Amino acid sequence: MNRRNLVTYAIAFLFILVLNFLLPRMMPGDPLMAIYGDEALVAMTPELEAHLVERFALDKPLWQQFGTYFLTLFQGELGYSYYYNATVLSVILGRLPWTLLLVGTSLLLSTILGIVLGIESGWRRGSRTDRAMLAGLMSLNGFPDFFLGMLLLITFSVTWGIFPLAGALTPYSGLSGLGLLLDVLKHLFLPVAALTLAHLASGYLLTRNTMITVLKEPYMLTAKAKGLSQRVLKYRHAGRNSMLPVVTQAGIWMGRVVTGALFVEMVFAYPGVGYLTYEALLARDYPVIQGVFLIVAVSVLVINFLIDLSYPKLDPRVSHAH
Amino acid sequence: MHISLKREIKESGPGKTGLIILLLMVGVAVLAPVIAPYDPYQQSTASLLPPSWHHWLGTNQVGQDIWSRLVYGARTSLLVGFGVGILSTLLGTVFGVSAALVGGLYEKVVMRIVDAFIVIPMIIIVILISAYISPGIATLILLLSLLGWQGGARVIRAQALSLKERGHVTAAKSFGANQFYIAWRHIVPDLGPILLVDFIYGVRRAVFMEAGLAFLGISDPTVVSWGMMMRDALSFSYLNVWQWWLVPTGVALSLTIIGLTFVGHAAEPVLEPRLRGVEIA
Amino acid sequence: MLEIKDLKVSYGGDVILNGIDLKLESGETLAIVGESGTGKTTLGLSIMRLVEGTVQGTIRFNGENLLSLTDNEMQSIRWSQIAMAFQNANNVLNPVYTVLNQIMEPMVEHRLKSKEEARDKAMELLRHFGLRENRFSAYPHQLSGGEQQRVLLAMALANDPRLLILDEPLSSLDAASRAEVVNLLKETDNHRTKLVATHDLDTAGKLADRMVVLYGGKIIESGLTRDMLSQSRHPYTRALIRAYPNMTTVKDLQGIKGRMTRPVSGCPFHPRCTQAIDICSKEIPELLPTSHGREVACHRGGIITLLSTRNLSKSFGLLKAVDSVNLHVEGGETLALVGQSGSGKTTLAKTIMGLHQPTGGAVYLEDVRVGNRGKDFFRKVQMIFQNPGESLSHRLSVLEAVMEPLEIHGMGTSEERENKAIRVLGEVELPQTEDFLRKYPHHLSGGEMQRVVIARALVLDPALLIADEPTAFLDASVQAKILKLLLNLQEQRGLSILYITHDIAAARKVSDRISVMLDGRIIEEGPSNEIVAVPKQDYTKSLLNAIRI
Repeated sequence: MNRRNLVTYAIAFLFILVLNFLLPRMMPGDPLMAIYGDEALVAMTPELEAHLVERFALDKPLWQQFGTYFLTLFQGELGYSYYYNATVLSVILGRLPWTLLLVGTSLLLSTILGIVLGIESGWRRGSRTDRAMLAGLMSLNGFPDFFLGMLLLITFSVTWGIFPLAGALTPYSGLSGLGLLLDVLKHLFLPVAALTLAHLASGYLLTRNTMITVLKEPYMLTAKAKGLSQRVLKYRHAGRNSMLPVVTQAGIWMGRVVTGALFVEMVFAYPGVGYLTYEALLARDYPVIQGVFLIVAVSVLVINFLIDLSYPKLDPRVSHAH
Repeated sequence: MHISLKREIKESGPGKTGLIILLLMVGVAVLAPVIAPYDPYQQSTASLLPPSWHHWLGTNQVGQDIWSRLVYGARTSLLVGFGVGILSTLLGTVFGVSAALVGGLYEKVVMRIVDAFIVIPMIIIVILISAYISPGIATLILLLSLLGWQGGARVIRAQALSLKERGHVTAAKSFGANQFYIAWRHIVPDLGPILLVDFIYGVRRAVFMEAGLAFLGISDPTVVSWGMMMRDALSFSYLNVWQWWLVPTGVALSLTIIGLTFVGHAAEPVLEPRLRGVEIA
Repeated sequence: MLEIKDLKVSYGGDVILNGIDLKLESGETLAIVGESGTGKTTLGLSIMRLVEGTVQGTIRFNGENLLSLTDNEMQSIRWSQIAMAFQNANNVLNPVYTVLNQIMEPMVEHRLKSKEEARDKAMELLRHFGLRENRFSAYPHQLSGGEQQRVLLAMALANDPRLLILDEPLSSLDAASRAEVVNLLKETDNHRTKLVATHDLDTAGKLADRMVVLYGGKIIESGLTRDMLSQSRHPYTRALIRAYPNMTTVKDLQGIKGRMTRPVSGCPFHPRCTQAIDICSKEIPELLPTSHGREVACHRGGIITLLSTRNLSKSFGLLKAVDSVNLHVEGGETLALVGQSGSGKTTLAKTIMGLHQPTGGAVYLEDVRVGNRGKDFFRKVQMIFQNPGESLSHRLSVLEAVMEPLEIHGMGTSEERENKAIRVLGEVELPQTEDFLRKYPHHLSGGEMQRVVIARALVLDPALLIADEPTAFLDASVQAKILKLLLNLQEQRGLSILYITHDIAAARKVSDRISVMLDGRIIEEGPSNEIVAVPKQDYTKSLLNAIRI
């Protein structure tokens, strides 16, 4: 369990900023082009160009540029996308909820499922059920999420037509209330399935491993001596102790919430931040790419920080570790 | 640690399976020119053909033989995979061991940097950089290694710290040995099993990354890659070409990763002896 | 309430319990005493059917054989009828739940109480065992060892079990807490049937009415605790008591020779027993009753009485030097015969040795009346005297002196005799070099000479050594070494010693029992620590006062 302190996060943040800052300026050619991409060429007028040069302090020494960059960032200004014709911030914020929905749901499912399967497997360690689950899940782990996504898409959407082919909503459907909810769920189902299946194994393995060590602990004998039922032993005593590492891991995964669904979104054309990144990549829309990068980085840092804070609540032994 | 790594892998069912799979893949990659009947880059007008005697897995949209591309794709995956594996384990060893031995401010700084990198998701940095640079294979290997060594470094440092306290190290110090000597002769050899496990998982991560990046369209288009093949196959998903285009490629990729997972899993008890016991036979 | 018959427990090829028979009446507290690894915890766990491995035999609890119950039936009995307070080690309590919660749990799960009732009862139990209120919602790792122990005890009593098994209940408590907990268990919990597993004789003494001693998977002695602690009948029990210091111990600590090894054929203790005979290595002795509710598992019926005298008298004309003396020396023990000069103690010793003919009474060796002393007698009983200088002929070298008894008895070849003599010289911690062997008594110091004398006495492997003021002619520091030597020899060889002295201070450091002699009669006799602490006769009191400044 990591006890990262603020310095670590500060360094990470700084690295991100510097990277973000330097990359476009290290490219050959006009830095403005690098910052704004090819689209900018089309839309830029000389006045706008001069204005932007001033804004980015492109004619000033590098360190001053960084200062300006830093300041603008803190004002929440992420730039403007010519491709989408909107501020980068608004574009990203528009896509974010879908990603959160997708990743949040699958994270919850894969964590819970992984824990339960891990507990059951660890409890029966060595039995045929355990060995089968272990082999099965480890094999499943080897399938990249985009491959799983594609298989699911082709099987259920293309061939059998049970689920929609793309997107998060049926366009122009004008649904509301329950109908809307069902529509969302129908579109959500396969991407969530792909993502859940892809990440099931890590939670399972971790829980199972922890379970194996936990079962050897003296308090398990004490619990058995208390005449408690198998279910109570398995979940309240062993399980509760075994899920701690997984929950931390889930916390770490939450940090990657924005990028976690990148490939799956692409496969299902699910309009989240991941798909946005892909589109921006194709169009070389640098402001958006940079914006996503920044948002991802910051959210990762913040979420990890929060997780670190809450860990002592889960494991009472930790607050006394220092 | 007296647990023999070779024995661990040999005795474990999945370990053996994984090893066989890997050897198969390596064999395919090495023997590519022999097994592939066509030049993987040669385009033709015979596009989107189903499997036949001439084209075992049919052809893609520009008439390239899929089987040949599949076989050559193994080269790319394994090259990047092993390259990153070696380099990142190397970096992890250098920084992990030096941090443990030198200690002080150096150690603090290194470990802070390590922690900082672990927190940031690798993929987004790679995407960002790739958006500007469009990396070739060599650059990709370098990039992935630079972003991936940190995880192993923590474990290596932890282990080096405990090894540092061993009797034979103290003895060597009393003979006047300097840090390099101690690191090279006493610490690193005992790290063997950990380094191997780190390497295996490094390869696995890299294989996945390379395929993913190719799938996104970011990596070198001049190189045959399974990820790229899958990307191409995706755009034709409404046809039934996926059966011989997408599936074999995806399975090949998955098998490689599974093979690495199995071998890694079998080798893990070396790090955590309490997990030994009845696994899958 | 509890009856165990022929309980055998083995795990992975190792036999842990090899046929245990036990009876426990309702309201009784029984202590199961044994050193670590002897299976006392296993015994407790097997009653609750928590042992891994093969279990055979019967365990009857209120008439029902627990070993034949289904898992579900056993599950409902656990913690409601039979509960166990585990030995306090790391992680015996679940680290992620509060201690209050863990005490409530069995009450709620067995459906004996509602949540509120359980909480109230749990708090009451914790208070009863002396845990402070602000610790109730603490997690196990936040509590000290002593607090955790109290929690374990409170938790065991959660469902008011009919049988309580305690595993080392006092081990992690400091002295004050121990007294407190003993009081709680004995006074306020008096009615409950208890089984206490412990290695600490003190704990057994404080908590239990009856006691059984485990060794090598078998019960080797059982009886009332107080009786057993003051007078044990099995060599192992005695050795155990000798190894445990308490405030009344006066004799120096002695260990037990050898180490516990498994498996062993025949009596499990015989490799380390100093009175083992042939049959001991072949057959396992049964636990048989002796007297006063005591049972011993020993082919020789327990510690043997090596030497005894009955109304032994010796007069020189009208002077009754020895007047109707009854004493006995047991196997492997030291009896100190204390009295001033002229009390008749030397005469008594010589009479026992046969150097004087008794005028009345008789001497018995291993319960056989001794007539004329033949070579057999001298092989079993040897004597050493005060003045080592006189005891050794100045014509004989060290080696020759030590070999002499062997030559007299015609034992072995010349080479064997020499080897034996050299070995014994090693036992008395003398050099075994050529140089030393060729020395003559006048070359040796007082202490060295006395060691040679002891070596000579030991070379026939006697069972009893009569030592008449062996250190009278030696300096104090040398005296200490000789006394230690005698204790070591007793530990290693099981040598019985009749230690004759005027010095009651030295006597109590080496003896298990003291007999006080005055004017030819034994006026007081008993265990050393009792005689020293509560002397009954005035003469004894005066002897003790003389050494207390």
